[in-house]
Amino acid sequence: MARALSSFRPVFVAGVGLHPYRKYSPTPYVALGLAAVREALTDAGARWGDIESAYVASALLGMAPGRPMLRHLGASGLSITHVENASASGSSAFRLAALEVASGQSDLVVAIGVDKPAMVELGARQAVLDLLERDRVSAFTHFALLAQRYADAYGATPEDFARVAAKNLANGARNPYAQRREPRSVADIVAAAPLAGFLTSPQSCPVGEGAAAAILASEDGLKRLQFERKRTVRVLSSASRSERLYDDEGGFDAALTEETVRDALADAGVSPGALDVVELHDAFSVEELLYTERMGLCDPGDAPRRLKAGHFDIGGEVAVSASGGLIAMGHPLGPTGLGQIAEITRQLRGEAEGRQHPDAKTGLAHMVGLGAVCVAHVLQRDAE
Amino acid sequence: MGARIEHPTLYGEGAAGPALYGARCAACGRVSFPRQSFGCEGCGAYGEAMAPVELAARGTLLSFAFVRKHMGADIAAPFAIGEIRLDDGPVIRCTLADALDERALHAGQRVSGVLAHNPKSGADVLELRFAPEGR
Ligand SMILES: [Zn+2]
Repeated sequence: MARALSSFRPVFVAGVGLHPYRKYSPTPYVALGLAAVREALTDAGARWGDIESAYVASALLGMAPGRPMLRHLGASGLSITHVENASASGSSAFRLAALEVASGQSDLVVAIGVDKPAMVELGARQAVLDLLERDRVSAFTHFALLAQRYADAYGATPEDFARVAAKNLANGARNPYAQRREPRSVADIVAAAPLAGFLTSPQSCPVGEGAAAAILASEDGLKRLQFERKRTVRVLSSASRSERLYDDEGGFDAALTEETVRDALADAGVSPGALDVVELHDAFSVEELLYTERMGLCDPGDAPRRLKAGHFDIGGEVAVSASGGLIAMGHPLGPTGLGQIAEITRQLRGEAEGRQHPDAKTGLAHMVGLGAVCVAHVLQRDAE
Repeated sequence: MGARIEHPTLYGEGAAGPALYGARCAACGRVSFPRQSFGCEGCGAYGEAMAPVELAARGTLLSFAFVRKHMGADIAAPFAIGEIRLDDGPVIRCTLADALDERALHAGQRVSGVLAHNPKSGADVLELRFAPEGR
C-alpha cells in the first residue's frame, strides 16, 4: 500500500537561501550555487559538516556539476545526487530530500538548484520521430493556443491575460532576488512586443541564471541545530505525477496540475480555500488563470475577475506568486522550484520583508516541467 | 517530376486528398499521430500491433494563434498555427494557409488540409497547411 509523506516522520524546512536571479553573466555557476547554500546554512544555523546528503538540481549545466561546486564548502564525503526534471528539477530535488529525511535515512539534507542559460538538446528530440511543426510551435505559441481557447470559453480579454503579468511584476519589484524588478501597467503590457496570439513579451518568463537552496530536517535534525521552534515550517505533503491521456488533449498542463495539486492537498489534509500563499508555474500569463482555477482557488472562468478584484494580491484572499512568480522573479530552471520553497518558507515565518502576506500559515508550491511532469508541495507554519 | 513533400514520413497525397500517416493500435483501437511502432500511449501494445493508417486531413479547429516572433528561416512571421481535432481522432497542430484573416477564424470551424508551396524551402517543395473549408 502506498503511503503519503505525512505517514512518515515529520519533515521541516530549516533553512533557505538564494542567489538573485538575473541575466546571464560571466560568473561561474559555482559562485551562484555556493552563495545560495551558504545563505541557507546561515539561515538554518547549520555548518556544512552537519549536512548528510545533497540533491543538486540543474537542467542546463551538463553532467555532474554538484561536487565541483560543493567541495568548496569542505569535502565532507556526503551523499550527492543530481536531479534533472526540466523546469521541475528543483521541485523534484526538494521532494527527494524530503523523502530521504522522512524515511529516517538522514536528519539534515540540502536541496540545491543552480543553472546558467545554455542550449541543450532535448531528450524528446532524440526520442522519436519527426513531429509536425515542432520548430514552429514554441512554448509561447503552445500557451497562446491555450489562451485563445480560454478567451473563447470565458470571453477573456487581452487585459485579463496582461493583468497576471502586471500583478507579478509589481510583486517582483518588491523582491530583491527577482530578475525583473520594474512594475508595468496593464496597458503597457498589452502594447508590448507581441509573441503569439494574446501573449506579449512581459507575459513570458525570463530564463536567466541563479541559485536556490533549502535545508530539510527531521525533529532530531532541528534539535541538533537548536533551531528556533517558532520559525519552523513543516512539509505536509509531496506529490509528483506525469501527463497521461486526457479527453482534452491540448489542455494537458491544466489537467495534470489539477490532479497533482489534488493529491498534494489531500495528503496534507488542506482544502484549497485554506491556502494563504501559492507559488505556481506562471511561465506564461495564461497559466496562472488556468491553474488557479484548476487548483480550486476559484471557479472555472472566474480567475480574471478575482485577479482584477485583488483576490490574488499580497494582502488579498490568497497571495499568488508573491515572489513575482516565474514572470518576474525569473525562471533559471534548476533553481526555480526551490526558489518557490524559499519564498513560501519566508512568507510562513513572517520574514518576507517588503512583500509579506499577512498571517500566512499554509502555502502551496507547484511546478510543471517539460514532458509534461508536475510536482507540488504543501508547507505549513508549525503549529506547536 | 512532381514536387517534393516537406515531411514525407508525416504526410503525403492520399487517395482522396492529403493524408497524415498515423497508426491504429490493434489492441485498444487508439488512433495516433505521428506513425510509430515503439508502443501505444493508450495500452502499451507495440510493434506490429501499431498498424499503419492514413488519416484524412480534415477536422475541426479547436484553437489558433498568430505567431508574431519566429527565429527559424523556414517561414516568416506572422503566420498562423491551428490546433485541429482530426475527424479520424488525433489532435494535431499545423500551420494554417497564408494570408488568413484573424477574424475569419473561430473555434469549431471545419478545416481541411492542402499541400501548398513553401517558397522558403524552394518552389518545388510542398508542405501541409490547413484552411477553413469553403474558403
Ligand atoms: Zn493501444
